[in-house]
Amino acid sequence: MQQITLTINGKSVTAEVDERTLLLEFIRDVAGYTGTHNGCMEARCGCCAVEVDGEIVKSCNVLALQVAGRSVTTVEGLSPQRLRPLEHITTQSLAGVYKPLDALGADAKDLHPLQSAFHRKHALQCGFCTPGMLMVLKDYLEDNPEPTREDVRRAISGNLCRCTGYQHIVDAAMDAAQQMRVAAAGADSTADAADA
Amino acid sequence: MTETLPRTRRQTNPPAARKLVGQSMPRKEDLALLTGTARFIDDIRLPGMLYAKILRSSTAHARLNRVDTSKALQQPGVHAALCGQDLLGKVKPWGDMMQDLLVGDHFPFATDKIMYEGQEIAAVVADTKYQALDALEVIEVDYDQLPVLVDPEKAISPDAPVIQEGISYEFGDGNIFDRYRVRVGDIEETERGADLVVRQRFTSNRQAGAALDPHGCVASYDSFTGNLTIYSSTQSIFMVRDILADTLQIPRNRVRVIVPDVGAGFGSKAQMFAHEVIASVLSMQLGRPVHLVLGRGEIFRAGTCRTGQVRYAELFLKRDGRITGYRDYVVHNCGAMSLWGNQVIHIGTNVGMLPYPIPNVHVDADIVHTNTAPAGPLRGFGIPQMIFAKEQLVDVAAEQLGIDPLELRARNVVRPETFPYRTPMGQVIDSTSIYDCLHKCGEAIDWERKRAERVPYEGVGLGVSMKYTSCRHPSFDTDLSAVRLRLETDGTVTIFSSDVSHGQSHATFLAQVVGDVLGVGFEKVNLAQPDSATSPFGLGTFASRAAAVLGTACRQAAERLREKVVTIAAHVLEASPEDLETGNDRVYVRGLPDSGLYLENLASYAAYRTHQLPPGFEPTLESVATYDTPTEREAPDGSGNLSVTYSSAAHAAHVRVDPDTGRVTVVDYAMAHDTGVVINPLVVEGQHQGGFLMGIGMALGEDYVYDEDGHLLSASFKDYQAPYATELPELTKIYEIPAPSLTIPGGQKGAGESGAGPVPAAIANAVYDATGVRFTALPITPERMLLALKEKERQGVDTLRFPDDMPDFTGPRTHQEWPEPTASDEGDILL
Repeated sequence: MQQITLTINGKSVTAEVDERTLLLEFIRDVAGYTGTHNGCMEARCGCCAVEVDGEIVKSCNVLALQVAGRSVTTVEGLSPQRLRPLEHITTQSLAGVYKPLDALGADAKDLHPLQSAFHRKHALQCGFCTPGMLMVLKDYLEDNPEPTREDVRRAISGNLCRCTGYQHIVDAAMDAAQQMRVAAAGADSTADAADA
Repeated sequence: MTETLPRTRRQTNPPAARKLVGQSMPRKEDLALLTGTARFIDDIRLPGMLYAKILRSSTAHARLNRVDTSKALQQPGVHAALCGQDLLGKVKPWGDMMQDLLVGDHFPFATDKIMYEGQEIAAVVADTKYQALDALEVIEVDYDQLPVLVDPEKAISPDAPVIQEGISYEFGDGNIFDRYRVRVGDIEETERGADLVVRQRFTSNRQAGAALDPHGCVASYDSFTGNLTIYSSTQSIFMVRDILADTLQIPRNRVRVIVPDVGAGFGSKAQMFAHEVIASVLSMQLGRPVHLVLGRGEIFRAGTCRTGQVRYAELFLKRDGRITGYRDYVVHNCGAMSLWGNQVIHIGTNVGMLPYPIPNVHVDADIVHTNTAPAGPLRGFGIPQMIFAKEQLVDVAAEQLGIDPLELRARNVVRPETFPYRTPMGQVIDSTSIYDCLHKCGEAIDWERKRAERVPYEGVGLGVSMKYTSCRHPSFDTDLSAVRLRLETDGTVTIFSSDVSHGQSHATFLAQVVGDVLGVGFEKVNLAQPDSATSPFGLGTFASRAAAVLGTACRQAAERLREKVVTIAAHVLEASPEDLETGNDRVYVRGLPDSGLYLENLASYAAYRTHQLPPGFEPTLESVATYDTPTEREAPDGSGNLSVTYSSAAHAAHVRVDPDTGRVTVVDYAMAHDTGVVINPLVVEGQHQGGFLMGIGMALGEDYVYDEDGHLLSASFKDYQAPYATELPELTKIYEIPAPSLTIPGGQKGAGESGAGPVPAAIANAVYDATGVRFTALPITPERMLLALKEKERQGVDTLRFPDDMPDFTGPRTHQEWPEPTASDEGDILL
């Protein structure tokens, strides 16, 4: 047994764990973020993909010990309000459950552009592979803001989906890339304005 | 995005335009799945929960002498261990809910015999998963190896090793556990009158569902009340509940099945499995919750996969291209044990004859056991296997008759003057646009030009099929789904259903149906979690039945609920019910949509202000409806209308073959479908895209590959060729040509499986067009392609059937040489 500390979605998690504990298990069983899924345990399906210090890893093939002290982002980290629900429980937000679903994602603090694009384009059916797809695409689009459809297919070629045939996932990724470019341009111009 | 086209010939009664039905509403399900808050089976945590793991056989056929778990019990953290001998006489074998399978052949563990690699031998439950896995390693198993039977055709030989011993099947001992036959019309007469007979032996592969969410359950037994609660990743809660209760011999109202989010199934989760019994027994022994989720290798080896088939198929035609008959002898491989496997040949053959109304059909099938993984339903339920053989024969015939393959199909697809139309096989076609679909997909792929302008190693091919929409299973005699609706006291609506949504978007499309009927907002309708304690009885989610069968039950329940709220409103408003409309979350007098009473008010009268109700009105705004389709039982000759309506699919593939690597690339693909009235076009397109993926997997890579000792060589995603995104083409040529069902009140047809049916056939036909190699076996792997091209070159021929046209092929080539079907006409009692 060994005590390790990981930062997961910005929160420090310390636990004494068996040396054999996989990062996947640390995330799911110790930190309690079950959005990271175990689909094969052999680094083939990609359902367990997370970011470690901004790099994608398949968390079923990494020991928690190997990434001790480092910072992990899971799918729960993509839409931060899910991590701080208490701040949001107001009469207004309870009324928000009636908010039409297509309005979701209109506000950047609700959902990541990829999440809202997946929703609009029906890029998920059973949803089990979705967290891994989202994490891989987030990482990819941040580095490659203007991909072709072919590029997107290659980017997710370490992730399996058995439901969608991938077509709508590619549609969603292209849509999200566009949104992210617009947001980045907006952020740049704001920064320019601040500089000026 | 799917393009919707009108049919060239209109049919009667297009349903009235509605507000929500027909719209591509983004799904209600998505939010939890996108943010990681959805709970799948492996995410369930209960207080005091223990972890169980299963020891599985590493051999495929053996006499099991002894299993000793005593050392495992000494391991740290271990609470209990179980093996087959512990349960003999304590739990009941299962498998006999199906009428054709007279004796239960399933048991939680092997007891005296191991029948396939991966069969359950023992189980251990411990504080942690790793303690349980460690303890499995010290279990002692003593066995004597038996000869292994992998080849289904060898299973029917009298000297084959017998797999299921001590079970007396309807047809006696041995490996043939069921038979199937069709006798429609007069095949001898057809043969005499035929101008052309084409025949070929085909073998089809076994494909896994490989749903990424593993099979698993958490069982929790309360030893004081005797209530067993089981969370399970299943497609059918009542199938699990009833068989589990029966197996454990406890009352069915003491077993509660709750289903978390289910990460797909494709048919592979449509039954109760041994692990569900094992977790339940361990929980009953210990009085603590037991978690048992299977690993990927376990699911490949012991979950169910597609049935494998060997077909000796013949197609009879007239010179003008009319198909007059079909004859086939099938060996149907169900693995070592199978709950659903025999049904696959019944329905796959009956419905698989479509879209041709073939007047004379003669089929014999021997349904056999081998020392391989249990087989069962998988997306398409026998249709893709059947279509692969039949549609290739159509192309063989087209070439020999000198008729274009598209034209030959156009001359034969069902296209009656009036609907409904009953085919010779007994299917009642209540509407179809298959003829238009065929031409549309040909046009979209640019059929005529590509056939005329030859490009080396490129080719085009067609495949057409029609697909059941739910089905009256011959051994079940039921085809029902149910919905209960409750108008909550704030005017929201809760839907209760036992048909598990695992990707099919029930929460969304049922809300669209309810919204239209009841006038309640889409966002106010919620689908409750499937739970056998609260949901009305229904069969589950399989067979493309959700939109049509569950959707109809939901529509009827909503209509009943609407009648109740209108009755209350009429009383309060002192209006006649006929003058009232529903919409905008309220009931109002026609023409005054901004007035009237909110559903919220009406619901509160029924709950809290009952003096407002009409005299004698029973409070509580709930309604329930069960829809059982008006389908027929299978007749003794194999005919019958087993499905309430039939969706249609016509696919065209354009492939390129790399002669150096043997790799088949799908360059372009077009699909035209008739899915009747589409509730949510976005969801239906998603189903077609997914069906295409499964079809491509079946055509080009996915397979259960066994060595001669019965070891599964493809029991991991490393070896099992599940397609990745780079292996699929951009699929944008998707067309809907709706022919609304006349039987289903809303006009819907099943969508889930019609995208898969024609794919292997269309690909195989395109591969022949590209290379001159007619593949008779699936999948068409690069290795097989290279061998075939070499063989073709060696023989110096233009065309070659492969692998069943090799010089050393000694199998039968005409039906006179075929194996004598054991399903003889004499003395059989069929159903």
